[in-house]
Amino acid sequence: MENTCGNRWFRRRERKGCREVAVPKDLTGAKFNESYEIQGIETENQAMADFLFTLGCYEGQRVHVLSALGDNYVIHIKGARYSIDRALARAIRI
Amino acid sequence: MQIALAGNPNSGKTTLFNGITGKIEHVGNWPGVTVARKEGRVKSHLCPTRETIQVVDLPGAYSMSPYTSEESITRDFVKEEAPDVIINIVDATSLSRSLFFTSQLLEIGIPTVVALNKRDLKHKKEMTVDTGLLSDRLGCPVVEVAAISGEGFADLVKTAHEVLGRGQKAPFEGPDPATASEEAVKAGDKARFDFVQQLVAEVETRKTESQKQTRQDALDRVVAHKILGIPVFALILYGVFSLSQSTIGPPIADYLVGWIDAFYGYVEGLMGTGIHPLLSALLLDGIIGGVGAIVGFLPLIMVLFFLLALLEDSGYMARVAVVMDPYLKKVGLSGRSIIPMVISTGCAIPGVMATRTIRDERQRRTTALLTPFMPCGAKLPVIALFAGVFFADAAWVGTSMYFLAIGVVILGALVIRKITGDTSKSNYFIMELPEYRLPSLKRAYVAMMSQGRAFVAKAMTIILISNALVHVMQTFTWRFQVVGEGMTDASILAGLAGPISWIMIPLGFGIWQLAAAAVTGFIAKENVVGTLAVVFGITNFIDTEELVLISGSESVAGIMGLTSMAALAYLVFNLFTPPCFAAIGAMNAEFESRAWLLGAVGFQLGMGYTLAYLIYQVGTLVTTGSFGAGVVGGLAGIGLFVGTIYYLIRKREREDLEVLEGVA
Repeated sequence: MENTCGNRWFRRRERKGCREVAVPKDLTGAKFNESYEIQGIETENQAMADFLFTLGCYEGQRVHVLSALGDNYVIHIKGARYSIDRALARAIRI
Repeated sequence: MQIALAGNPNSGKTTLFNGITGKIEHVGNWPGVTVARKEGRVKSHLCPTRETIQVVDLPGAYSMSPYTSEESITRDFVKEEAPDVIINIVDATSLSRSLFFTSQLLEIGIPTVVALNKRDLKHKKEMTVDTGLLSDRLGCPVVEVAAISGEGFADLVKTAHEVLGRGQKAPFEGPDPATASEEAVKAGDKARFDFVQQLVAEVETRKTESQKQTRQDALDRVVAHKILGIPVFALILYGVFSLSQSTIGPPIADYLVGWIDAFYGYVEGLMGTGIHPLLSALLLDGIIGGVGAIVGFLPLIMVLFFLLALLEDSGYMARVAVVMDPYLKKVGLSGRSIIPMVISTGCAIPGVMATRTIRDERQRRTTALLTPFMPCGAKLPVIALFAGVFFADAAWVGTSMYFLAIGVVILGALVIRKITGDTSKSNYFIMELPEYRLPSLKRAYVAMMSQGRAFVAKAMTIILISNALVHVMQTFTWRFQVVGEGMTDASILAGLAGPISWIMIPLGFGIWQLAAAAVTGFIAKENVVGTLAVVFGITNFIDTEELVLISGSESVAGIMGLTSMAALAYLVFNLFTPPCFAAIGAMNAEFESRAWLLGAVGFQLGMGYTLAYLIYQVGTLVTTGSFGAGVVGGLAGIGLFVGTIYYLIRKREREDLEVLEGVA
């Protein structure tokens, strides 16, 4: 996902161009403030998947990415905002 | 009648609990402040009848299926202990998540009242909730409250009293998790979320979408920035510590010490010459002197607690966890590990308990082992005393101890990961971000007063008794004769502490008085200062004449007979050896493992000894050109510590290898 957008140091600038062509597959590629439908949670860690479920983060629900700062993604689900790391953002398929 | 408070994390349960009971339990603006159940009684003027109402405050939970250990407390309590009424606190701004848990609570059959905490509704005003309709649909009363200001509490308690004894019908019934298949439960929970979604669509109207970026996000861009966040955090910590220990704290302490001195003089005059000199010495030097030496530092501690309370109230703590996560992951911890550590700068006991919000067992135990390294409020007098006596620039020494502590935590985390191996498979991080709010001065004041009172109570009990005992043991020989002039080494205290002081020669402070103070420090860290005051006969560590922290710095340093390097080593030794017994007890409760407890105390002892040794020996080499006394002997002790760690690491590596070979 990352490498399709070229050099990571210039990701911010190049991403824009990238997004037009690539359809995001997980939250790391999501546009900010756009509503996405969650397709599924892809992880071996079933406990984390179950926990995300209790927050209302599971297939069929809507999610927004509000901002991304380094490895942290601020996401919005069901009226609440969370900070998640890149690994978890990658596990949430959209 | 017993009421249980349940709801999502950070929905305001403890704020409500404090409001209706008048208690002062720890509150903070981040999820996971409450990690154990707390009990209290509803204030009598809120009770509709004369009957007393018990309230139980429970840790926050997102659902009845717990993710971390403190969440299971909530489920177990409402299911097994069957309270008479449940008050379910719901954050009005995140109804579509909160009502999921509500609908699960309603299934239990215990009469439930929903307390709709409208804390953010007022200033937002762009959303409304039809509480009448919500109440209809849920089949339980809904009462609007504002936990922070206390609005609606009387109504809430009255409603809870009214539903007592009534049954509770569930608006949504899922399959029973005990009997149904896993898929059926999952499908049931999805249907439950659909039910909630529909319900929210009916009762809630929002003018603007809350998922738009706000000013809060702009603030987060700086405060929670991956790189910028670190200096911001360091600056905030520096501000907290230097304000409490050199700017605001000492001048107030100075004033207080004047009062203590006056009291000492008053009691002295009151007793006159009619009282036996031994008794008056015990009272004046043992009790008033020892306790006074510690109480003198009270203002420093109160300022620290005030500032920590402001910090916790603002919502910043969750951001610190976010900023620190990538760095802490590199040493085998998680971002959540930082919260126990910040709490530990107040007191290590709640700090150790706060590790319950960390799910991974190895990370949780490692954090519980390392978090007491953070200098707590009780260690603050020790820091302030030594920084003031031996170093002119007190602020520099004090603050550097906190940053040294962070360094020790990082080093410790790396070593422990080597010993235990990194067992966490997928190390995800997720943290709910609470909204920032202007911290309330009133709440910080209440927290400060409560902590200050606890500090004085401790000084008047445990520390007073310790000081009196130390004074008695110092006054008498083993044959219970009064120690003669110039024969102080014959006292009981010298006899007990003497052998220990031998071990401390390589650290630069092989004097029995200092050894005795270090040992009494395990009862309570304030005792280090109290014992020093008693054994050296110093009654005043803080000058009343000038705004200098210590009276006659040079004379105090002279009495102890320490070089500044030895003093620094002694300070570090007291900060980084195991914490007080109460904190060790808290560690024991969280570890649930004898091996971890023994390992933790051994590790802390070894760490304190090694650091003190390095500071004294290297410092002495640099300042005088040669090593201090006992340089070789000390190496033996450190060799034992490092050797044990090396052995444990090798043992784990061998085991890993065997597992690999077994697979092959």
